[in-house]
Amino acid sequence: MNDLLTLSTLGGGALYIALALAVYAFLSGLIGAARRDARLQTSARLAAVAAFLAVTVGIVVMEVALLTDDFSVEYVAQQSRIDSPTWVKVVTLWAALEGSILLWGWLLAGYTALLAITAPNTVLRPWALVVMQGVLIFFLGTTIFAANPFTHLPNPPLDGPGPNALLQNHWMMAVHPVLMYLGFVGLTVPFAYAMAALITRLPGQAWMTQTRRWTLTGWGFLTAAIIAGGWWSYEVLGWGGYWAWDPVENVSFLPWLTATAFIHSVQVQERRRMLKGWNLLLVTLTFALTILGTFLTRSGIVSSVHAFGDGPVGPIFLAFFILVLLFSFGLIALRWDQVRDRAELDDPVSREGSILLANILFLALAFAVLLGTIFPLIVEAITGDKVTVGAPFFDQVSVPVFLIIFLLMGIGPLLPWRKAQEQTLLRNLAWMAGTGLLFALVAFLFGVNRVYPLLTIAVAGWNIASLALLIHGAIAPRLKLTNRSAVQVFRQYAFESRRRFGSMIVHFGIIVIALGVTGASGYRIDAQMRFDYNVPVHFQGYDLIARDGYREEVPGRVTIGAIVDVERNGTYVTTLRPRINSFGQSQMDAPTPDVLYRPMHDLYLSLAGDVLPGQEFVVLRVVQSPLVSWIWIGGLIAVIGTVWALLPRPGRQRQRVTAAKGVARAHD
Amino acid sequence: MKRWAYGVAAVAILAAAGFMVYNAMSSSLVYFILPSEYAANPHDYDGRRLRLGGLVQPGSIVFDNEDLRLTFHVTDSIESYFVRHQGTPPDMFQENTGVVIEGRFEDGVFVSDNLLVRHSEVYQAPEEGEPVDLEALKDSLY
Repeated sequence: MNDLLTLSTLGGGALYIALALAVYAFLSGLIGAARRDARLQTSARLAAVAAFLAVTVGIVVMEVALLTDDFSVEYVAQQSRIDSPTWVKVVTLWAALEGSILLWGWLLAGYTALLAITAPNTVLRPWALVVMQGVLIFFLGTTIFAANPFTHLPNPPLDGPGPNALLQNHWMMAVHPVLMYLGFVGLTVPFAYAMAALITRLPGQAWMTQTRRWTLTGWGFLTAAIIAGGWWSYEVLGWGGYWAWDPVENVSFLPWLTATAFIHSVQVQERRRMLKGWNLLLVTLTFALTILGTFLTRSGIVSSVHAFGDGPVGPIFLAFFILVLLFSFGLIALRWDQVRDRAELDDPVSREGSILLANILFLALAFAVLLGTIFPLIVEAITGDKVTVGAPFFDQVSVPVFLIIFLLMGIGPLLPWRKAQEQTLLRNLAWMAGTGLLFALVAFLFGVNRVYPLLTIAVAGWNIASLALLIHGAIAPRLKLTNRSAVQVFRQYAFESRRRFGSMIVHFGIIVIALGVTGASGYRIDAQMRFDYNVPVHFQGYDLIARDGYREEVPGRVTIGAIVDVERNGTYVTTLRPRINSFGQSQMDAPTPDVLYRPMHDLYLSLAGDVLPGQEFVVLRVVQSPLVSWIWIGGLIAVIGTVWALLPRPGRQRQRVTAAKGVARAHD
Repeated sequence: MKRWAYGVAAVAILAAAGFMVYNAMSSSLVYFILPSEYAANPHDYDGRRLRLGGLVQPGSIVFDNEDLRLTFHVTDSIESYFVRHQGTPPDMFQENTGVVIEGRFEDGVFVSDNLLVRHSEVYQAPEEGEPVDLEALKDSLY
């Protein structure tokens, strides 16, 4: 009896029910959509909500198992530990492969249910829900049959090893993966609508306008996830960097590149009815790349610091990736006659021309990053040599491409659709080039003398001028028509043209990130130094004085650390405590650097050797990265801009009321 | 005519991009090799960044904690090379452990700036007099 009612059977059972409901929702949705049977469609929508509730039960059961240390559940036995803090137990849900896929499936089920409830009743909706259910069936099926976290252990261990040391060492671990999956899942929605548009032979722009918010939400989450991941590596990996072009990082960057291209190119289709096929390609690639990324990093075929190891899940994701590509490209080919563009580019010097060029660059960069990521596999398959593609490859390829993209980011929004007027264009270009030169000159006088950093700073000036011109262009004509102040008019513009002003905030955030990356990668100083206790060591204008080392043991964790006073020009600034944590029986240590965050540069201390009793010194890795915090701030700005663009316009409600009044008046 | 011009432009951009990618790739490819593979064709790797794998030769570890300089020999039991690494030995670094070091050969000495310890249960050190399974060693370190 006891064996029948365990958390394993409960959670596993909930997943089976969820899968059954998803299959039912898929089939009834399919038949309902094909026969235009409203009752079946409603039934499918209700089943989608029920499936979400069933997966939720699975998630709750898993959390209960983690929090109550039920080691008869295999996942808990492998990933959790009794004396972990509660928050670590909660996030252990996504600390390993099986739990991550379960979480992904749950979020997908949630989005599908939300879509089923809130999406407007259009011709596309039933088919989009069918596609979403198809993807959900894949995730639930993989969870149940290939990576089941609820496997029952007849002889449970008394305690487990706990999650990977790097994962339990920082609260960011609670945030970063969830943001990533929310991004991935959010970008599934436009894909589902795109497929629905192809199936229903309506490849117009309805599928894009209906999913605009979902796309932007997904993009915002993905952006936040990538920045958060960078900050996480900065805070826990102990080498003072934030991005190493590791395969896991690359595969999260790939869908970001195609999604970014997509959110720009949809505007071309909305305005000019062009790029229909291109948009379908981008949305498909974005979705497919999220799947490919999981295959590459979770199958163990690409070596990576974050890889979860081998298992059957890799090939399953590869098969699904191929299936997605075959299905969507097959559909596009089938509907090619409708997808083909009738309109042509009038002039490359136009809004659509600049977006198109930037799009090509985004796609080319995605291809190059993908190539660099899988190149070791290709080489090993052909010559048998084992190679890695070093970070210099990715830097050499991405820096120039991004510089051109930034140039386009400045000029594109100032160009009108169809064709630019030469005079305005030249005036704008003069302002932007002038500001760019000025920025570069000032930077040069302050000692920046390398080509790429100077170019980046110039491009930042170019973009700042562009933003100023955009705002001026929007405000000036309105100011002439009213006697209100410039601030009031600006406020009105910012609130009413949310999409446009939001995009300006995002672009500004991107520029801040670009400057941060330039400073942090181009002017980083990294040294390993020995610190004898109470002897000041001079480093970049600071005096660092190691006072003592210590060792601290609490249940489940051993910490060694050093206490370092930081002084500048003889005055005390702060005390930093770089540490190394080791958890439970885990072999791996988690560096816990301590950082003095400053707007212009960070001082980063990481313990680089043992702290032993009687040893009168410590060895520290000391890193100074100029402007590195601009990356996190810029990321925050970009997210704020995305939220700004997503918030409803305050005027909308009023417009509806006036429209209703108009109707009422017409009836009078 | 317009299509023609776009076509030419596209081909030119693609060619430039391809050239850039090819250039960047050929200069950033880092080969992973064992000491005996280096010994067989040292000139293939002149001036190139390498990842050298092998075991830490017993009795060769010297760490100077004043200058923070670590030296040791890395070996695949056929060839062995002197390694100079700036920095402290990482946790678990000891005799006979598998290591991967990244850096360059300078006058027969491997100058490393990145030292990784690889624990592996797969590879068994050979008994006295037995031949070494280089493939297994390499796979266990990669």
